[in-house]
Amino acid sequence: MLIPSRREIVEEVKSRGQRIAAVLPIHYPRPLLRAAGFHPIEVWGPPHVDPTIGNAHFQAYTCAIVRHAASFLVSEAATVADLILVPHTCDSLQGLGSVLIDFIAPRQPVLTLYHARGRRECDVEFTIAELKRLASALVEAGGEAVDEETLTRELEVEGRLLQTMRGLALHRDDFAICDRDFYTLLRSWEFLPPERFCALAEQIPRGTPPGERPIRLMISGIVPEPLEIFDRLNDVGARIVADDLACLSRRLYKTADVDYDPWRRLALMMLGMPPEPTVGSPIPQRIDHLLRRLDESRAQGLLVYDVKFCEPELFDLPLVKQALGERGFSVLHLEVELGLATANQTLTRIEAFVETLQ
Amino acid sequence: MNLTAQLKYHINYDLLGPAVLRFQRWQDERKIRAAATKNGDALLAGTLRTTARMKEMMALHYLQGRYANRVKKVAWVTSGAPVEILKALDFVLIYPENHAALCGARKQVVEIASAAEDAGYSRDICSYARTDIGSLISGKTPVGNLPKPDLLLCCNNICQTVHYWYRVLAAHFEVPLVLIDTPFLYTDAQEHQIAFVKQQLEAMIPIAERVAGRSLSYARLKEVARYSKEAAELWLEILNRAQHKPSPITAFDGFINMGPIVDLRGEAETVALYASLLAEVDERIAAGVGAVRHERKRVLWDNLPIWFKLGKLSNLLASHGVNIVVSNYTYAWGELAPMMDIERPIEMAARVYLHPILNRSTGDKLRAMKKLVADFALDGAILHSDRSCKPYSVGQIDQRDRLVKDVGIPALLLEADHNDPRSFSDEQATGRIEAFVEMMG
Ligand code: SF4
Ligand code: SF4
Repeated sequence: MLIPSRREIVEEVKSRGQRIAAVLPIHYPRPLLRAAGFHPIEVWGPPHVDPTIGNAHFQAYTCAIVRHAASFLVSEAATVADLILVPHTCDSLQGLGSVLIDFIAPRQPVLTLYHARGRRECDVEFTIAELKRLASALVEAGGEAVDEETLTRELEVEGRLLQTMRGLALHRDDFAICDRDFYTLLRSWEFLPPERFCALAEQIPRGTPPGERPIRLMISGIVPEPLEIFDRLNDVGARIVADDLACLSRRLYKTADVDYDPWRRLALMMLGMPPEPTVGSPIPQRIDHLLRRLDESRAQGLLVYDVKFCEPELFDLPLVKQALGERGFSVLHLEVELGLATANQTLTRIEAFVETLQ
Repeated sequence: MNLTAQLKYHINYDLLGPAVLRFQRWQDERKIRAAATKNGDALLAGTLRTTARMKEMMALHYLQGRYANRVKKVAWVTSGAPVEILKALDFVLIYPENHAALCGARKQVVEIASAAEDAGYSRDICSYARTDIGSLISGKTPVGNLPKPDLLLCCNNICQTVHYWYRVLAAHFEVPLVLIDTPFLYTDAQEHQIAFVKQQLEAMIPIAERVAGRSLSYARLKEVARYSKEAAELWLEILNRAQHKPSPITAFDGFINMGPIVDLRGEAETVALYASLLAEVDERIAAGVGAVRHERKRVLWDNLPIWFKLGKLSNLLASHGVNIVVSNYTYAWGELAPMMDIERPIEMAARVYLHPILNRSTGDKLRAMKKLVADFALDGAILHSDRSCKPYSVGQIDQRDRLVKDVGIPALLLEADHNDPRSFSDEQATGRIEAFVEMMG
């Protein structure tokens, strides 16, 4: 199964006359960007970038997603982007958005989007207003004015994309490919047009995943980098059967009732993610969600795979660990630096963790 | 209401406590006077007399908290929270950040925060949060006892971190958590942002009323808002007196005396306290007394203080004739006073609580620093790069560079932490500060 590269997608999209939006983590309104004529390509770091420029703007205690992104966004490779969108995910991304606008000033316009942290009617109303503000900013950045018909159509496309993603992420056992290939494909939704992603998903061979009687693990965290982590897990006899990753399952939004107007539908979608820390979900709700996913996927333990210095993740961890422990699930917490190969010490800890589950 | 608890509350908070604390204040004032006459040639002018009264007020505040459960409703609130509504409903308010700072100033953080770290809270999270959670787990606190909250009020106008932290508190105490979500201002505040905050404030009222078991009196709310405004105005005036040369105060005086503007705003006593502090500062100006006896250089402090090193840093700088005359951290509790409109307390709160410096862009923060440099005729700036406070620290590298390039003053990025001494190297800090002083000439 051949997944097109980011570069190929950029060329393809540009040849259709569409514009590219470089989008930072985590939640953003994909249908709105598309309706305004922008194809979103997500920037999770990226891992293999020289972080020198980022390090010149951000202290070493800022997470690598931010430092790498700052380096990448001023690099030659980022010139294909027509705009940069920085959602307000955490204090560090808030800082990145602000430093980009006020000091670094890349050649593209930098737009921001604030996420409401509550789930009240005022949060829905605010989100609608914030999305409309973003829509105007997209026009100023060279995009098209968003009409309700186009937005409705893009919401339908998004619904199909989410359904496909749900079919994959929630049913790992049905696909006969190894973890690395499986999650590489899933992560291609970060840059593929929805229809391309759905078509690729169709091609995944059905059947039992390779590996005999593996230890079944769920993975949580922001982004699984480097992807070799999946190989290492497989090497020691473990398999990832479910995820709670910011780049994947935390974005399995609920789609809202089609009777609502498209702006409200979009706002409800943006507020309808599974419980997760950056959007302020109560911790007990998050724990319930994790337990449910662990049960459904018949996982034996949870691997929390965090980017170093990620505060939203770190605050929830002790209570999550305690609650899961009380239900008999072991939790292994690993913190990693983007762009570095998996350290021996990390491998030893993974191995020891998997052994305890055998 | 429990009768025994009520009796204890009245005996300790209304009768014994005030008498003991008044006596302590009288002793403190005597010590301050004695030190002032004895140390005529000391590097620093010494402690302001009013500080003794401030200590008395803060001690009484914590004493009230200690006996409040089962007598009064208690809310734990973030430092930038719109507290006027809760105050008008007669909640006893506890500020975990202030409590953590107190643990820092009393050098108890390592012991207390270790309890949180042992429970799995990473040393990479805000050291205020770690101190607070550690105190919760271990029961250790320099104030005797913190009351359990009936309500949590979290306003993320200083950082998102407080929301992560208050979610932990909500899970621990199983009490309602009210969030006042304040969109970050990358540019000027927009109408939908103000409307959003106002809606949340309105939605908070019935929740707070339910917990308080009483209805909100708008007359009382206006009164509280008036005291908040008056206290903030006085606080701003006090800080602005540092424009005088030599400055009658240092930023360290500000750090030490800021407790009431954070914890006790909305109270008549706070207005009276700051009126007398202002009068004392004016006395110093009239007498030509500088807080640093031989003020040679005037410097800006950016970010939170290093609570566990206040005395040491202030002496070190004074020994070089350097006065940190102003800090944008203490200024944050005064600079919004002109925006306050007591006739429309809810609308006012929606606007004001969106605008703390920490909720504004990195460029805006630089503009504010440049203005302080001009208004206070500053020779340099120290930017405290605070390891566990990202919202205040991210952006400082560019801000420092711009202060050097655009304003032409030396600016030092000083690596430390506001509350955790394990993230601070005395030797390195002293060396860097001395090199910085040399650069100023
Ligand atoms: S890794 Fe964590 S701290 Fe970094 S940008 Fe993502 S959510 Fe924010
Ligand atoms: S010290 Fe910084 S991170 Fe901690 S609560 Fe205050 S503003 Fe937030």
